[in-house]
Amino acid sequence: MTKTAKTLEFKFERRIPAAPDEVFDAWLNPKIPGNPWNAAEKFLLDPKVDGLFYWTLKGTSHYGRFTEFERPGRIQHTWVSPSTLGHESTVTVTFRKEGQDAIMTLVHSDLPDHELSRGHERGWNYFVGVFVDQFGDGSRKLFRWEEAHASEESRK
Amino acid sequence: MDQLTDVLTAISHPTRRAIIGQLAHGPARFLDIAKPFDTALNAVTKHLKLLERAGLIEREKKGREVYISLRGEPLREVAGWVHEYERFWNEHLDQFERYFKDKKKKEMK
Repeated sequence: MTKTAKTLEFKFERRIPAAPDEVFDAWLNPKIPGNPWNAAEKFLLDPKVDGLFYWTLKGTSHYGRFTEFERPGRIQHTWVSPSTLGHESTVTVTFRKEGQDAIMTLVHSDLPDHELSRGHERGWNYFVGVFVDQFGDGSRKLFRWEEAHASEESRK
Repeated sequence: MDQLTDVLTAISHPTRRAIIGQLAHGPARFLDIAKPFDTALNAVTKHLKLLERAGLIEREKKGREVYISLRGEPLREVAGWVHEYERFWNEHLDQFERYFKDKKKKEMK
């Protein structure tokens, strides 16, 4: 497959009121809200170097392979979804102690930059959503994977 | 310029964002819009022209008065022009953070 020349990278940071090892474990626990496996209808998860994961929601499947696994500081895995067009993107999650809290950083890199991966006509950016909330009609709603992928559903 | 660029330009200035904030409460007349700003009426007119070009406001004549109102749709278009993983991870990380904050609150009770 031809490699897309331009890739995107997104970085997110959160301060979590817990120790890094607790946060690390919670990130891999499908029962904890917010991690990628929590909302899945079906998932497979083998968190170790070269272990694989799979999760699906409303017919959209995601696959990946763990490439780094260092409890409690760092997890890295590949991420393949319809939006990556078969390319392996990379998700790196790090946890570091700061006072009583953990600083959690998630970097999603190597994402192909193409129209499909942008939420045009179907997306809702978090920060701009807040802006729209304040100044628009207040119709911001939570991100729902099935809504974001409605067009994929209708193709099936 | 395309509309996306026009909208981004329009919301890039604090005065124009303030005008949008004002109009979010409902239509207003030009002088009412200009009142809170310590700036020349001419400058407010220029801001309104930029907002109008971006499709963010529209004017409607009611009797002798002209009312200016906000159109939210272009803002939603801008909101849509972002990568789905920005939304995906922000929403997920917010949920994850909220879980720990709620947990800590319960523990402190």
